[in-house]
Amino acid sequence: MNARTLDDDLRRSAAQHADRTAVVYGDRRLTYAELDRAVDGFAAGLRQLGVRRGDRVAVVLPNCVETAIAIYGALRAGAAFTPLNATAKEEKLAYLLEHSGSAVAVADARNSHTVQNAAIRAPELQHVVGVGGQIGDTPSLEELCETPPDPPGAYPQTMDVDLASIIYTSGSTGVPKGVAFLHRNMTFVSDSIIEYLGLRGDDRILCVLPLSHTYGLYHLIMAMRVGATLVLERGVTFPGRVVQALVDEKITVLPGVPTVWQVLINLEGLADRELPHLRLLTNAGAALSVARVQAVRKVFNNAVLFSMYGQTECKRVCYLPPDQLDVRPDSVGIPIPGTEVWIENEHGERVGPGEVGELIIRGDHVMQGYWKDAEATAKKLKPGRWPGDRVLRSGDLFRQDEEGYLYFVGRSDDIIKSRGEKVAPKEVEEVLYLYEGVREAAVVGVDDELLGQAIVAHVSAEEGVELDPKLLRRHCAERLEDFMVPGKVVIHDDLPKTDNGKLDKLALAAMRDRPAVGAR
Amino acid sequence: MSNVEQTTGSAIKAEIRAYIEENFLYMHPGLEVSDEDNLLALGVMDSLSFVELVEEVQERYGISVQDVEITEENFGSIGALTRYIEGKKA
Repeated sequence: MNARTLDDDLRRSAAQHADRTAVVYGDRRLTYAELDRAVDGFAAGLRQLGVRRGDRVAVVLPNCVETAIAIYGALRAGAAFTPLNATAKEEKLAYLLEHSGSAVAVADARNSHTVQNAAIRAPELQHVVGVGGQIGDTPSLEELCETPPDPPGAYPQTMDVDLASIIYTSGSTGVPKGVAFLHRNMTFVSDSIIEYLGLRGDDRILCVLPLSHTYGLYHLIMAMRVGATLVLERGVTFPGRVVQALVDEKITVLPGVPTVWQVLINLEGLADRELPHLRLLTNAGAALSVARVQAVRKVFNNAVLFSMYGQTECKRVCYLPPDQLDVRPDSVGIPIPGTEVWIENEHGERVGPGEVGELIIRGDHVMQGYWKDAEATAKKLKPGRWPGDRVLRSGDLFRQDEEGYLYFVGRSDDIIKSRGEKVAPKEVEEVLYLYEGVREAAVVGVDDELLGQAIVAHVSAEEGVELDPKLLRRHCAERLEDFMVPGKVVIHDDLPKTDNGKLDKLALAAMRDRPAVGAR
Repeated sequence: MSNVEQTTGSAIKAEIRAYIEENFLYMHPGLEVSDEDNLLALGVMDSLSFVELVEEVQERYGISVQDVEITEENFGSIGALTRYIEGKKA
């Protein structure tokens, strides 16, 4: 069977490895046959709710086996899925549901208050399906999974050129952008990653990263494609659970971001464990320092480590073959199989080794464009060599060495990378400006061992107003996803300005937590 | 006998509560947290606050927290953490 669509992957793996464990969260374990049956029922249930080919189904869930059912059920029904962060607050969720034009949202019943309030402002949204309980009048996911499956061929076949997913990512303007992918884009990049990592059907992958983010999500997609077992956790909040899963589930593959590694390598006793099954570690989201790479390899001494770089718009750009880790530890490597990259100067000319310029990416992994945003799409994608060919402007600055290995130099925008997630300073600043008495607000990233970058907000007050940093943080926590909340708020009399009167973020970033003279 | 060893169960509980109120609870005005309330489920703490909490516990009580011990059963609530610390010090 040719797996042209993402759902074909699940069908094929269920046919070939019916009794193999597909997905695990806590006490919930589903074999491929069980997952396939649940997906059959959920897809039929979604069709009965009115979902049709090309519709969007928003999946607003933390990591759990139901997330897999919701995503593949949506795909089997012919819809595209939109994974959304389960910690998104009402305002943001309303925007994302409305912008994606989702027909159905699937959410944790315990989160029903936020999702229902957000749903009111999304006119195309017809139903909110609860997990672990009913939300409103719509049957729960568990009930919908019991729907008798539709016979094969009951509805139009999904093709590889159909929309598979819209994945939202922070943009420097502060408004999230929806990155649109066809099945073809997603199966292509999955195959490319499976190839260079050497993922196999007997792998057991531990995913602590949220499935709402591409890095985590692709571990579900790749597991389904090769017929591997995916064990889910929710972050490294309780690393004891993660360590126990590594041992009990005989985990072979562990993807992480620097924050995950920082937590794990500091655990007492982990380095003494054998973990004989663990063979593959991957890092993305942000670069690991050379010292941290050594510490990770020391703790997990049986496993090889892949350093990787990517962005949502094409999922993955490049990886460093593990044998190069000691040769060029600060390189992010070579383009993933089946793709090419080059570096251009500001005139659009290719530059030679050692010169810095913008990284350009070409291949079938590149997105179709931003959902309902032709202007942003035109800036990010430019014509390639052939009719219809398009290449992706990464917006990031790179250089290449004589042998073609890539080095990340910097971002060309002011996006902060914290806990492996992208944070647009503007989005946080706009929330700070909503607070009464805030006159100026500037949000910067400051290097931090645990977070990669910590988010620090610098604020000044209006005349006669006394601001309390704790209350400002609380105000942010009530309106922003967890990873966007500033770890520190510094109150100033006045924020430093550049010569042309703009807020001087470089000075603020260099200031760290020592406020300027005159600050309170 | 050092001060650390003299700390009783109720004193430990009060210290843990004070630490959590000071560092995390101010973000949630009006929220009543009982000894057995789940700090993660209530949204009082997230993954990073637990990293801080583990460090605090190790330093303040002079105990070594093992990798597999950092679980919800041991760190999930004020009561659980108090029992865990008492057990480690016993």
